[in-house]
Amino acid sequence: MNLYFDKTLNAFTRRALLATFAGGLALLSYAANESASKVPLAPTSHAQAATNPVAISGELMAHSCAACHGTLGRLGDESFMPLAGMPLRQFTTTMLDFREGKRPATLMGHVAQGFSDAEIRAMGEFFAAVNPIGSQP
Amino acid sequence: MMTSNLSRRQWLASSAALVSVAALPVWAQARAKTGPAHIVIVGGGVGGATAAKYLKLFDPSVKVTVIEKNRTYIKPYGSSEVLNQHASMDDLNVSYDTLRTQYGVNFVFDTVIGFDPQARTISTAGRQKITYDRLIVSPGIQLLYGAYEGYSEQVANTAVPSGWIPGAQTALLAKQLQGMRQGGTFVIAAPPNPYRCPPGPYERPALMAEWFGKHNPSAKIIIVDPKDSFVTDETMMLGWNRLYKFNLPDDYVKKMQDKVEIKQHAAAGMLSWVRGKDGGRTLKIDAKKMTIETEAETIKADVINVIPPMKAGQIAMTLGLTDASGWCPVNRRNFASTLQPHVHVIGDASMADAMPKSGFSANNQAKVVARAILEELAGRAAPEPLWENTCYALAGKDYGLFVADVFKIVDGKIARINTKARYLPLDASPAQIKLGARYQQAWLRTFTQDCFA
Repeated sequence: MNLYFDKTLNAFTRRALLATFAGGLALLSYAANESASKVPLAPTSHAQAATNPVAISGELMAHSCAACHGTLGRLGDESFMPLAGMPLRQFTTTMLDFREGKRPATLMGHVAQGFSDAEIRAMGEFFAAVNPIGSQP
Repeated sequence: MMTSNLSRRQWLASSAALVSVAALPVWAQARAKTGPAHIVIVGGGVGGATAAKYLKLFDPSVKVTVIEKNRTYIKPYGSSEVLNQHASMDDLNVSYDTLRTQYGVNFVFDTVIGFDPQARTISTAGRQKITYDRLIVSPGIQLLYGAYEGYSEQVANTAVPSGWIPGAQTALLAKQLQGMRQGGTFVIAAPPNPYRCPPGPYERPALMAEWFGKHNPSAKIIIVDPKDSFVTDETMMLGWNRLYKFNLPDDYVKKMQDKVEIKQHAAAGMLSWVRGKDGGRTLKIDAKKMTIETEAETIKADVINVIPPMKAGQIAMTLGLTDASGWCPVNRRNFASTLQPHVHVIGDASMADAMPKSGFSANNQAKVVARAILEELAGRAAPEPLWENTCYALAGKDYGLFVADVFKIVDGKIARINTKARYLPLDASPAQIKLGARYQQAWLRTFTQDCFA
């Protein structure tokens, strides 16, 4: 759990901790709200920012995979591919092959259709940074 | 890289916020008094459990309380597999222990009876009053037993079970089906749209056709339906055609025959489907005579399974979260109720446009809402969301099919964006079909882990 939070969720956790330490006050500024809405909310590739007016964070997209591929991509002894720690290139190549029909699939071809190149890359960056060790998040 | 940006912004925010408390929005004043945010979740099903887990995963400092009336969760997904002895009732039980001990989620086993949305307190039948910063309501469905003449919860508990919310009715239905006389008739009344688990009312008779094939080969199964089509209809009926000598309706044969060989069986099998246009809508149940009356006919049955129309769970109505439709209108971005402040509604009860009422949807909505709430409490906008849905279903033990969706907000509504295809291809190979069945079984486990462990 710690490893994960240190390496991957650190942005969010630190924000939350700061919020806590600063009491209610840290949370409240409308000014912060305004400025936050003008910056991307999570790491995304430049390509995505350029082609997609509203970028979706790689982390948020990655959590949508977890119902089959395990929380944070960590999976026990199951039929699906564990995604935690998967090298970025392996993830993007696999997803693009699914999407373009180059790799036979049950449903991953359909799922991959829902993601742009940049989105696939953003998800892949998230999973690549997750420590695969540890069956529990 | 983002870390430093956001941190700096957060520090800026904290110094900028050194202004008088009176200038702050009302919710912020409440937060300032209470320290770490308290998120209270009503309902410990798939949506509620996932929300609790991911809130703690995203921010371990946040306080999360789940109010749930049952100490053990009974999974609806996979529960039809009790009927054909794939699974036992015990296999449906899911413990909340991991959420409590490993994630630090607080559980209150009690029933919600009301709330004060201004004071942000929720009250329970056990006379507890719980204060929250944000409330997530994940109430699931309620079954409208009264929708058909002669049907009621009491009839469902004793003679004509539904089992669409799993429990004692599931066990009763299993006993009835497994004990049905040789050559008996099983009628299943499918529900009108919208309803929980779109392929479910059709997977259930498929599983029973397979079981009857071994144990009661002269049995009959009649699906009576107010609808003319259903999600996964082509792929499910193709499975029936191959496995149970089911003859597809002519319009489906016409639609599908260019893509796949559809057999016309001289002697049709045990399974039939009466559609809405052919009078399949249920009107009346007579539990004493064991008959079901539809618009077309009165059928004498040995076992009747009614999946009644449904609406949002009672708690959603008690809390004033439903509109005239009986479901809960929400802001698509963060599933905030449009009817009550500081409340988010997720899962089957919410009106989520193109998203089906499935466990997978509830799981994905929970994660999006968990993130949105934490961002909003920190004074930032909820991030742009994305959701997936997968419903696996079986036409038989080794015959898996599915629907697979990705959703985004498009023009203010939740829309499916993988528009090319969402079902098992009609020309799928036997290997793919069998793999789908293995994946369905694996999914039952991985999904439970993502929600509850």
